[in-house]
Amino acid sequence: MNKAKYIKYVFVAFLVTGMWGCTSMLEETEPATSVSSEVALNSADAINAIRASMYSTIRASFDLTTENLIGPDALADGMVNRPGSTRFQVLNAANGVSGTVHIGSFGGSYDVLLDANILIDGIPDDVPEFDQATRDQYRGEALAIRAWIMHGLSREFGYEPANTGISGSTFDLSAINRNFPTLDLTDAEPLARSTVTEIYNQMLTDLAEAKTLLAANGSSENKFITEAFVDGMLARVHLYAGNWSDASTAAQNAIDNSGLSLVSTAAGIASMFRGANPEAIWELDVNPNTEAIAGSNINNGLAAYTSDQWVAQIPTQKVIDAYTAGDYRVAGWHGDCIEEQSVGATANGCSTVNSLGVSITKWNGWKGNLADDITYMRVAEMYLIKAEADAKAANNPNAGVAALQALKTARNAGTVPAGALVSITAFEDEILLERMRELTAEGHRFWDLKRLGRDIPSVSGVGIKIRRDSFRILAPFGVNAQNVNPLLVENPGYEVAGN
Amino acid sequence: MLKKLLTLLVFALFSSVGLYAQVTVSGTVIDAETGETVPGVNILIVELQRGAASDSDGNYEIRNIDAGTYTVRATFVGYNTFTGTLQVGSQDVDYDISLEANIVGLDELVVSGYSVVSKRELTGSISSVSASDIENVSLQNTQSLLQGRAAGVTVTATSGNPGAAFRVNIRGNGSINAATEPLYIVDGVQIATEQTSNLTSTTPLNAINPNDIESIEVLKDAAAAAIYGSQAAAGVVIITTKKGVRGQTRVNANIERGVRSLARTVDYISSEEYVQFLGEGRAFDNGASLDQDISAFVDNRRAFLLGFFGSDPNGDGTTLANTNWQDFIFEDGVTERYNLSLSGGNERTTYFLSSGYEDTEGTAFNTDFTRLNLRTNIDHKINDKFTASVKVNVSNSTQFGVCQDGNFINCPPSQAMFEAPMSFPFLADGNYNNNTRFGLANNPAVVRDEVDRNVDITQVLSTVDLLYLVNDWLSVKGSASVDYRNTQDEQFRSAIAAPGQSGWVSFVNRNVQNVQGNLVANARKTFDDVHNVTGLVGTEYRRVYSEFAATRGEGFSVPFFSVLSSTATPASATGNNSEWRIASYFTNLKYDYDGKYFLSFTGRYDGSSRFGSGNRWAFFPSISGAWRVSEESFFNFSFVDDFKIRAGYGTTGNSAIGNFAARNLYGNVGSYDGLNGITPTQLANENLSWEEAQEINVGFDYELFASKIFGSIDIYRKDNKDLLFGRPLPSDSGFDEITENIGSVRNEGIEIEINSRNVTTSDFSWTSRFNVAFVRNEILELPEGNDIDANDQFEALIIGKQIGLIQVPEWAGVNPADGRPMWYDANGEITYTPGAEDNVEWNDGIANTVGGFGNTLNYKGFSLDAFFQFSLGQWAFASSDYYFTRTPDFLMNLNTEVRDRWRLPGDVTYFPRAMSGGNAYPETDNYRTEEGTQSIYNASYIRLKNVSLSYNLPTSLLDGLGIRNVRLYASAINMVTWTAWPWYDPEVAFDPTDIFTNVTSASYPTERQVYGGIDISF
Repeated sequence: MNKAKYIKYVFVAFLVTGMWGCTSMLEETEPATSVSSEVALNSADAINAIRASMYSTIRASFDLTTENLIGPDALADGMVNRPGSTRFQVLNAANGVSGTVHIGSFGGSYDVLLDANILIDGIPDDVPEFDQATRDQYRGEALAIRAWIMHGLSREFGYEPANTGISGSTFDLSAINRNFPTLDLTDAEPLARSTVTEIYNQMLTDLAEAKTLLAANGSSENKFITEAFVDGMLARVHLYAGNWSDASTAAQNAIDNSGLSLVSTAAGIASMFRGANPEAIWELDVNPNTEAIAGSNINNGLAAYTSDQWVAQIPTQKVIDAYTAGDYRVAGWHGDCIEEQSVGATANGCSTVNSLGVSITKWNGWKGNLADDITYMRVAEMYLIKAEADAKAANNPNAGVAALQALKTARNAGTVPAGALVSITAFEDEILLERMRELTAEGHRFWDLKRLGRDIPSVSGVGIKIRRDSFRILAPFGVNAQNVNPLLVENPGYEVAGN
Repeated sequence: MLKKLLTLLVFALFSSVGLYAQVTVSGTVIDAETGETVPGVNILIVELQRGAASDSDGNYEIRNIDAGTYTVRATFVGYNTFTGTLQVGSQDVDYDISLEANIVGLDELVVSGYSVVSKRELTGSISSVSASDIENVSLQNTQSLLQGRAAGVTVTATSGNPGAAFRVNIRGNGSINAATEPLYIVDGVQIATEQTSNLTSTTPLNAINPNDIESIEVLKDAAAAAIYGSQAAAGVVIITTKKGVRGQTRVNANIERGVRSLARTVDYISSEEYVQFLGEGRAFDNGASLDQDISAFVDNRRAFLLGFFGSDPNGDGTTLANTNWQDFIFEDGVTERYNLSLSGGNERTTYFLSSGYEDTEGTAFNTDFTRLNLRTNIDHKINDKFTASVKVNVSNSTQFGVCQDGNFINCPPSQAMFEAPMSFPFLADGNYNNNTRFGLANNPAVVRDEVDRNVDITQVLSTVDLLYLVNDWLSVKGSASVDYRNTQDEQFRSAIAAPGQSGWVSFVNRNVQNVQGNLVANARKTFDDVHNVTGLVGTEYRRVYSEFAATRGEGFSVPFFSVLSSTATPASATGNNSEWRIASYFTNLKYDYDGKYFLSFTGRYDGSSRFGSGNRWAFFPSISGAWRVSEESFFNFSFVDDFKIRAGYGTTGNSAIGNFAARNLYGNVGSYDGLNGITPTQLANENLSWEEAQEINVGFDYELFASKIFGSIDIYRKDNKDLLFGRPLPSDSGFDEITENIGSVRNEGIEIEINSRNVTTSDFSWTSRFNVAFVRNEILELPEGNDIDANDQFEALIIGKQIGLIQVPEWAGVNPADGRPMWYDANGEITYTPGAEDNVEWNDGIANTVGGFGNTLNYKGFSLDAFFQFSLGQWAFASSDYYFTRTPDFLMNLNTEVRDRWRLPGDVTYFPRAMSGGNAYPETDNYRTEEGTQSIYNASYIRLKNVSLSYNLPTSLLDGLGIRNVRLYASAINMVTWTAWPWYDPEVAFDPTDIFTNVTSASYPTERQVYGGIDISF
């Protein structure tokens, strides 16, 4: 082989092998909208963004918005599907002897906890430009959100301390207490369910710490978690636990710390949900152009389910009948079911459901694009908690009148009827009615009946759809969750044979 | 020696005739494809029975011919017989003959990736479709050319809209979560599929003008495809465009026009039948029986419908409208296509220049497709050592972005089901009816007139090659290619169509930059005349960068405008980008002994940015061999011209997963109070790697009876392992899954191809072709041994079962006593409320027997071609049709199936009794939503896919006009379909990546197309 040929082959060999060592050419790709955990957890800006995600994840979740606020009325007797619509019809049609449909927020709730747990326990000690006051504030907010989420999960999947064993069993399992951040695969191992007591202890511990942190460094804006919200959550948790005097104290603290008072004019009540809600202790902020519920307000939003687009769930006759003449809430929070629609749809037939032919217009897309800020806690609820708790703490209906009457007066709803004062049970009946008048489409009805050990009445108002001791009172976890988690015990009555 | 012999022969011929005042006919014989001269061709003047043979330079001469008109015939082995007309006057005649190579059978050349081989040498499994197979076919899309023509390649239209995508599946579903689409390579450019429009069904392959295609090869088994390594597990489709032909410039012009209409329609009942149906339903609700007078109930429902829908705008106020919405939404469309190409060149430079334009209006209102193509393919021999070539294709296509594939209240295909005959588009005064099923904004007339959805795609595909001939056995070729695609999605809704926002407009700009370079050394050397050694080594690098930016503005206060600048509110702006890279080394070494024994080794070593740092590179080898048994001395079956046994085994990979699937990521998700959120979106798996397909293939190639029958048979088993699965995590961890390499799927099958030349005479020829493929699919392994969604009716993944299994309760018919629908429960007892536990396995979405057959008849200038394509064994659920047009729950169209309904005790019917709504039967599941075996239909079909009749004008008419050839033709697509499927179209595939193919949902129906056209070449 002569020299020229030799050079030729070397040249060819060089060309062909010229790309050895190009692994580095493969490593330079970076995602445009993601960063590594090392970056995310060591930057003040990124930690701000994790906090934003915590709130944003709530808003983006159908479970924690539309289903959270409308589901409890649809599963009980507060709202029912308009003829021609099918959304949440299965909740309306649920019965106490078969089926699996329930209100469940398993996935959505733990998505929020993922962010909350990072803010509580996942941030390294020495993050540049991340001061202690901000760290405390975020931790406080995250602890309160964790308690709010756990409260939601505990009432879906377990009984309350007051009604555990209602069906005669000693079943006392509640939610899974995921109280640490998932930073890598080893954190994602299966966990067993905790007991009702353990979950309530966790909530009270979290809320206690949150109150301390937020009292010192909390935000004053109700679009974030504030000390007043922590008080309100304490009131709710104590109410569900049957700690009446603690519930009353916490409710009063919430009223005081929020600095809010009840709206007491017809015009004020009519406009309550149409802008910044003057009674909101926590109102999730929503950008109508970019922040839709589950990706699409027109399909999944609160307005789409209640008074626009599908007009899927409208108030039952029972709700309409609950109001007395002159109650500001009738005209203020209800509207003609056709006229209130903005999207050119002509969903009709409401008058076959309630005599007024109305839908509930608390969520009517007041911010545009069928979006509303989402009010999760109002000062009115605190009056209702206080009324119930005061009466039960004193074991005397009269002790609850002051708070209840304050609300009725503001709503132009007359006086507490005398019949409500004959017994604690009668007073509880009136409280349940007042909660229906005040809080329909705000996520309470089914849970109120459940925590008080009541049967769930049928939508028509005649008969019972789910008995208090039915297995259908609790939500199922489902086969898929059990397949993934061998430690997960299914709620009684939902177990699948075999497997 | 030969030359002397020929000269002698010619001399002998000439000397045998006397010398008269006659003329001489002479010319050159060339190969039409290569322009090379062809020696030894026998040329005969038929009428005189006189002839000559071409000399070593391809020249011939026949002297002393009297004036007159003659037929000239030229024959030579390996070429089609040439027949032409010769006019002889008083002058000598120059008569050149151009022979078309007869490349069928095993001499056909195929592109096997980085090199070209003859089928005779193949050791792997490759199906090919050549220009001659498709020259009489009028098609829009490259992928559809494969439908029914390549054994083992299942092509399914995902939508019928002009420009829509196809699902192309090679040898079964080999993946569940990574891509199942093959790798497409056009003239060496690996096509990117990122960032296609989301307004409608479309495909990047729309950039290719089918008229420019020379051949399409499908690399099916691992032995053939392993050269593409980690991108080849789902097979490889190689598309090669035409090259210039040396010689005189050839101009080819083609014009065709056609009409298109729905291939199938669905029948719905009229308003009057609707009233009767509802009246019966109401009668049952009230405990009445149909042998009583139910007119009061019917009248009640008529009044209800008049109240609900309003009265017929053209009536007297007491009658219901009876609108045929199907006719309103679909009407006949038209297509025009123009193609012009130039081909020619000299010894150093050849060129193929082509331009094409298509303008199509589809059947659904507003739908259209236009495409402009410009192609330049040039090869230039710089000197003895260097040859350069460039191929550039620039295309611009536009599509109306018709929305479909879902139960959308504002998309035309679903509206054809959702609007009942009682509703109507316009009021008597011509204004829109605001009382259609979903209100004014979703009135189909508003969707037609007040909504615009435009997709505009500009794509450049370009490759530059430089070939260096090192010496007579070694060459090196370097290539650089780019595939650049810009897609613009524009949507507009007027204030009428979007009252909530007073109208809006959105604009999405998408870009893909897909660049690629490779360097390949090719060697070929023969030792001792019998040892043939061929080899190539190469290296390649590819980078795909994609991005989009989207903006949306709301509020048109002035109704004349429809651009962003005239909106009142800039509502949103979003954008993102992504990137992946792959680097590779590959080799293919081949040896054959005397064209009898073949051995081939292929290997590719790929590194991908998508995979974990611990597992970035992998090697994909394959080995295959072949034995031409027919070359053995002991093999003496005279009817067998060639018989070859092939066997191959190898591995390929599937790297088409998320670009950053291996990493620990905190992603930008949502925003709150003006701050963007980030949240953990993915846990790291640094060992994440490709899916791997291991495939064994055994095949036979045969050529019988003097090449009259030829084809191949392949048998394969392909096991796809290390499938990428989201291993489910407890969702309370905040994560639903982590992507890991777990799971395995097996596909096995048989593919048979038979081609025959039944009759070949000078005037008449008849050829046939047939192929069929059988495939079987089975899931072998799933994460932690658990079935996934085991009770799911359509998407269950169960070990030991096939992907696409359908599980529904078994239908037990309509109860003759009371007209209720009945099913069987798990114990075989009648139930009215079946549950998941009552499901039975009921067929699947796999078309397990797929193929095609065709016949071509040529008689003189006439040519008739009929091609049938079939797909058998697929069952599917037409979800939209079923959910919405079978009961009056939503007061939408009702299918005519309801006519066969139960009325009186004792009736044995297909459909249950009439109902006011699906829940109307006491203690019985909603007939609308309770699927059962009655709701699953057989989607098998046989379709006359293409039929064409063409006529070549006789050359005698064209001589003197400077025209080489004129062909007139008529052709049709989807002319007839034989199927039991009662809905729009039995081609069920949701999109190109659908693996279950057992549910369809309001897709744009397939169109029947009929064309007439003319081809002129100069």
